[in-house]
Amino acid sequence: MSEAILMVQDLRSGYGRTVICDEISLQVEAGKITCIIGPNGAGKSTLLKTIAGVIPAMAGSIRVAGSEIASQPPAQVARSGMAYVPQEANVFRALTTHENLAMGGWIDETRTRSARDKIYAMFPDLKSLAQIPAGNLSGGQRQMVAFGMALMLEPRVLLLDEPSAGLSPLMVGQMFDTVRRVNETGVAILMVEQNAVQGLRTAHDGIVMASGRIAMNAPAADLLDSKDVSELYLGSRT
Amino acid sequence: MSLQIFVNALVNAALIAPPAMAFSLLFGILRFPNFAIGGYITVGAFAAYTLNVPLGLPLPVATAGAMAFTGLLVWLAHVLVFRPMEDQSAVTLLVLSIALTLILESVVRLFFSADVRGFNIPLERPWKFLGARITKEQIGIIICAIVLATSLHVLLRHTRIGRAMRAVADNPMLASIRGVDAAKITAFTTVLCGAMFGLTGVFAGLDLVIEPLVGWNLTIPIFAAAILGGIGSPYGAILGALMLGLAEELTILILPSTYKIGVGFVIIAVLLLVRPQGLFGTAEIKK
Repeated sequence: MSEAILMVQDLRSGYGRTVICDEISLQVEAGKITCIIGPNGAGKSTLLKTIAGVIPAMAGSIRVAGSEIASQPPAQVARSGMAYVPQEANVFRALTTHENLAMGGWIDETRTRSARDKIYAMFPDLKSLAQIPAGNLSGGQRQMVAFGMALMLEPRVLLLDEPSAGLSPLMVGQMFDTVRRVNETGVAILMVEQNAVQGLRTAHDGIVMASGRIAMNAPAADLLDSKDVSELYLGSRT
Repeated sequence: MSLQIFVNALVNAALIAPPAMAFSLLFGILRFPNFAIGGYITVGAFAAYTLNVPLGLPLPVATAGAMAFTGLLVWLAHVLVFRPMEDQSAVTLLVLSIALTLILESVVRLFFSADVRGFNIPLERPWKFLGARITKEQIGIIICAIVLATSLHVLLRHTRIGRAMRAVADNPMLASIRGVDAAKITAFTTVLCGAMFGLTGVFAGLDLVIEPLVGWNLTIPIFAAAILGGIGSPYGAILGALMLGLAEELTILILPSTYKIGVGFVIIAVLLLVRPQGLFGTAEIKK
């Protein structure tokens, strides 16, 4: 077994005094993809935002490669080796692709040049879009810019909030291929997906959330085969 | 006569463009129209006057001092007045900024009275070419405005902090996720814009007169230029200032010059009805 790069223990979070997620404990193993599925309102995005530091944790612990980051501001979390890609507004629309990537490496700009070359090698399509404002790109291209920006500091864990949301069916397949390719470079991924079947097919491990708690946590293949899961969350598409 | 219109329009634009850029930059970061700019400009004019006339410092030194002073003032206003109210709506902050401008003006009036003053500079005959007149100070204002616009362009496009300023204005949440300390960027922006308002105070003192209402009288043209160019877009503000300058001068051909100040209002009213995103701005799509 490989070591856990991200460890969450007894996490509680929400907005104001309203608790949305509670008693959340999970692990993401180094180099693996973990997919969180569950019905709307289960607290999936809230959980991801809390791990990313966008919402402060009310209780519990979040450790990235052993160091505690719970309730640190997002600017501090960005230095921990974890990068978060929000679901919406995940690029700087007024900045060019090139500048967006530079913002991804803001914390340590000595690495920007070489890191950006790596991103262009990984997403060759972005190179021709380098000087175009991200606001003028298509949904799929924007998603690539968002991924590229998050990868600039060579994080060990990537948090993806509904990466397939708003993409055309054709682009959804390409996006999951991209997630796999990013993972093959050794980056662990924790993603929330509404598209449960494709999400679980891409992932190694799966987590089912319901009413703000973890209902199931198992290898993704087991969840895909599970009768309960398919009846409750996967619909008739299995 | 016709060339004179363009000269006047250019001087007008050079006076309006820097504060309109600063107004746009501030709006981009703080998300409310800050009408305290009138007060800031007045304070800048009187700070330069104090250093130049009673203290006898040369005008360039007095200008630098005034820019430092207004830079500090605008930062203090942000920390003490606007930041504690940042959860309020943009309209509340706008009213607050009008109150601040009245307070600043009154403080200036308390110390300096409402008398009209001028800088200690030699009076010179304006230069003439092809029948148009232009003073040495006006040429200086135009050159300064061009240098300032170019420097601001280099800052925003080619420096680390400029890129962060644009990123924070574009998407503050994502900027903080990527590790940008938005509070530091905001502080830098307020000081930079404050210095530009201070400089405008000096320009206004050179081209117009120094009096407590000098900033207030410029507020509407500055606001008009900024929204003409698409609020939040510093480049649009330059074009907006040029168009406003020209529109004001052309009005004088058909109406008495007292109506000049009304041009800004008309432009604002028409634009808000027809093209609220400004001529060069892009419409924001709200989901």
